[in-house]
Amino acid sequence: MSATTIPDYGTLGERAAAGLKPKGLSDEQKIAKAKEAFLAGMTADMATYLESCIHCGMCAEACHFYISTGDAKYTPIYKTEPLKKVYRRELSSMRLFNRITTRDITVQDLEDWKELAYDSCTQCGRCSLLCPMGIHIQSMIQVVRNGLAAAGLAPAELQAVSDEQKDKGSILGAGSDKLREVVERVRAKGVDVPLDKEKADVLVLSSALDFLNDESVLEATAKVMNKLGVNWTIRSDGFESANFGALSGDRVAQKRISKRIIDAALASGAKKVIVAECGHAYPVLRWEAATNYGKELPFEILSVAEYFGQELKAGRLKLKKAGNGASHVTFHDPCKLGRMGGSFSEARDILNALGVKLTEMESHGRTNLCCGGGGGVSMLKSALPLRQKAFELKRQEVERTGAPTVVTACNTCFQTLEAGKAWLNWDKDIVNLVQLVSDNLA
Amino acid sequence: MNEGLYWEGMSLLDFARGPALRWAVIIFVIGIVWRLTALLLASRKQLEPAKGSATSGGMKTLLTRSAPAHELEKNIVFQHYSGYAWHIGMFVVLLFFAPHMLFFKDILGFGWPTLPNLFITFFTVVTMGILLVLLARRLMNPVLRQLTTWDDYISWLIAFLPFLTGIMAFTHITFGMRYETVLALHFLSVSALLIWFPFGKLMHAIFIWPSRYKVGAAFARRGVRA
Amino acid sequence: MAASKTVGDVLRAHGVSRRGFMKFCAATASMMALPPSMVSTVAAAIENARRPSVIWLPFQECTGCTEAITRSHTPTLEGLIFDSISLDYHHTLMAASGQRAEDAMMQAMEENYGNYLLLVDGSIPTEEFESHSCTNGHTHLSMLKDAATGAAAIVSVGTCAAYGGIPKANPNPTKARSVQDLITDKPIINVPGCPPVPTVLTGVLAHYLVFGTIPELDPYGRPMAFFGQNIHDRCYRRPFYERGQFAETFDDEGAKKGYCLYKLGCKGPITYNACATVRWNEGTSWPVQSGHGCLGCSEPDFWDKGSFYRPLSAAYWGDARTVGIGAAAGAAAGLAAAALARGKQKKAQQEEKA
Repeated sequence: MSATTIPDYGTLGERAAAGLKPKGLSDEQKIAKAKEAFLAGMTADMATYLESCIHCGMCAEACHFYISTGDAKYTPIYKTEPLKKVYRRELSSMRLFNRITTRDITVQDLEDWKELAYDSCTQCGRCSLLCPMGIHIQSMIQVVRNGLAAAGLAPAELQAVSDEQKDKGSILGAGSDKLREVVERVRAKGVDVPLDKEKADVLVLSSALDFLNDESVLEATAKVMNKLGVNWTIRSDGFESANFGALSGDRVAQKRISKRIIDAALASGAKKVIVAECGHAYPVLRWEAATNYGKELPFEILSVAEYFGQELKAGRLKLKKAGNGASHVTFHDPCKLGRMGGSFSEARDILNALGVKLTEMESHGRTNLCCGGGGGVSMLKSALPLRQKAFELKRQEVERTGAPTVVTACNTCFQTLEAGKAWLNWDKDIVNLVQLVSDNLA
Repeated sequence: MNEGLYWEGMSLLDFARGPALRWAVIIFVIGIVWRLTALLLASRKQLEPAKGSATSGGMKTLLTRSAPAHELEKNIVFQHYSGYAWHIGMFVVLLFFAPHMLFFKDILGFGWPTLPNLFITFFTVVTMGILLVLLARRLMNPVLRQLTTWDDYISWLIAFLPFLTGIMAFTHITFGMRYETVLALHFLSVSALLIWFPFGKLMHAIFIWPSRYKVGAAFARRGVRA
Repeated sequence: MAASKTVGDVLRAHGVSRRGFMKFCAATASMMALPPSMVSTVAAAIENARRPSVIWLPFQECTGCTEAITRSHTPTLEGLIFDSISLDYHHTLMAASGQRAEDAMMQAMEENYGNYLLLVDGSIPTEEFESHSCTNGHTHLSMLKDAATGAAAIVSVGTCAAYGGIPKANPNPTKARSVQDLITDKPIINVPGCPPVPTVLTGVLAHYLVFGTIPELDPYGRPMAFFGQNIHDRCYRRPFYERGQFAETFDDEGAKKGYCLYKLGCKGPITYNACATVRWNEGTSWPVQSGHGCLGCSEPDFWDKGSFYRPLSAAYWGDARTVGIGAAAGAAAGLAAAALARGKQKKAQQEEKA
């Protein structure tokens, strides 16, 4: 089985934050910027959600951070309070009246909500599935992040990386040079990686987070792609799956980062873009990029798991029965792939083809419990104690399956589960799906 | 239909059955339409190819959201069932008490069978009990307390008063007031409810449909049942 | 009729037995909600009461009240009480007519100044319509004011006298007023009903004879003893209401089985009267028993409270047109609000891009 190949995100975050240039906004500017971003995000859908809350508090019981701590402030809808206030005062049909009853937001509010919108929200979307009124709380919290980011109040860890990625395209200094270096290392192992092919049918994305420590994930992906025999490439001008603009809430960064990939895909004439095992990257590209880009895209966007699953179904991907003791597993649905992405069956089809016994957790598929690392949270040092508490829920659900191995299809989940092992002295094996597939190619 | 609405020396009951209710209905309608149309804000057209039909997903969620998946629902059993009990109780009392049915029959032009008073009394008492429990919960539970605004308490009162005045009129426990005064108060409490409805959280009875539809559609587009 | 005789004298002269008299007293006492121990007091009081002079002035009325009271008398207990008073003027009932009748009234009023009981039925037209109702050249308004001056108390018989009744119904073409609207310096007992229950009127008079005072009254000036409870509470059909069994039409199975008449517009729940307990025509029947809902005739403005056949819980909610206009107004306001909000949104989105 693979060893830990993913770097510790917390350490990365700390490293990044140290280099952050503050925006130097005054309090008034912060409030004005935040309000502006809030207003810009209040579409008809958002307005409907904002009007609908009946203050029932049920969403709390969907949130791993609330359930594990019992702390009322982690109630999902409470995390949108500044957005609600601005809506009530600025946009609601009752705004003239609401201005009397609702206090305006202050810089202190925004500062206070930093912890709630970032540290204690992995953007997993579970609350959006429970709300009896049908409020898409996750999408509201994203708008809160947009506002905080605009006010320069996003956590330093995320803002620094977001700025770097927006301006240079690299993450923690890992850009196209680093990619070339890693590709060379993979090639040295005898695995061909078609880097920067002019034209290709399939554009495979990677992520700096995949190869900062070592090249094993890229190697595994390349092995499978080569085995499939498709005309594929990795492009050094658009390989980064991760979108720190989406995580920090910086909409301009998010758009620019997505555009880089779109441009690369268009240039290569790819029909399919395969997003690396990077949780948030999938929904950001698959479900937001075209809209932000302003045009429909002439290619399909698939996650690795999704792509492999489809190839398996089509009979092009052939797998042997899994060895190495992975005979009994449980599958941790990455929130961003599953609930927020709509890909559930492909990973399970692959596990099925591998002949492993799959025992599902109580919360799986669309109601999966988040591991506590998504949405950029695993980068935040301040969120660590909270994450550790929330992880306990995941651990219990995993324990109850009795499976010795946890398979997942997202680097962040993988990294969080690995970290969980360390925190808890936990004896589970954590396996990435792409690794599992590459290890068992027939 | 509207004969005899105004005359010299109108009693409180006449006022409650007539002008008060009329104005309440007009404000109710204006308010609801106003607040719904005001939601017609700009929306972004989604350009990604969908994994499922947003429309049918949205429609499904209108109903399926009433019964969340077990693993989500297991933590909210109390809120969930007390919510059900209160809403069912309210609708039973509202629709199946004979005088209430006659109120609607007069508006709609058709009636329906009603329940004996024993059942109505039972449901009223249960419903009022649940409302009191839910109020106590709102006052004590920290999650609810931080979310609560004055709207919640006003809406609670506005929802509670028709039951209180209703059962007072029904049982003739009137605390020294005359029956028709209590009946008038009952009508007035309903007028208050109609007037408050579009502007407070009672409006959730309307908003729940677009909201559920939109979340259902948002997830269905991504191929997820919400 | 000499006013000096006591009631007992008169009753004995009419051959009423002691037993019959006590029976009447017991019935009267029970109607007035007095304890049984009071019966002998009532008997003694009535027997020894001097027959008070009574003047009955009919104004803007239909004579229904008089009809009701006279039709029910021979030889009932109600009749007896009429023999127990000195009815000195009642232009429908008295033998005299013309100037002689008027003289009788004037004489009675002078002889009993400050002591006579004034009974009034019918409402009184006022202001520019004052002259629309006159007797012998005198407007009823002036007659009422004259007669009231020397009265010990006034009994408004019937809903017209008590509250204006049908003449006062919207749009009140004669500006009709009730007695209590016009006379404020005398004790007034309202005995409303269209017509009032005869026994109730006699009961009120009996109370006056016994105690020489006016009985306890409700906020509408009605004796609590008779108007203290509503019809619905005393209705023999009440169990059907509780069970949810209603007559849906006047000739359906439910109507034949005597089910509750609520759905047919019965106003029993908001009507205070003794019909359900005392009944009419020697206790034979009453409106609800005959299969028709209560009209609420003993209540102020009963004629103006919408259709008699409209259920009590049906309100006057407006009409589809008003609601439609409301909806249109709401839509206009909403779209305007949305347009303003959109402007803000656009601006915010543009600034975000910049």
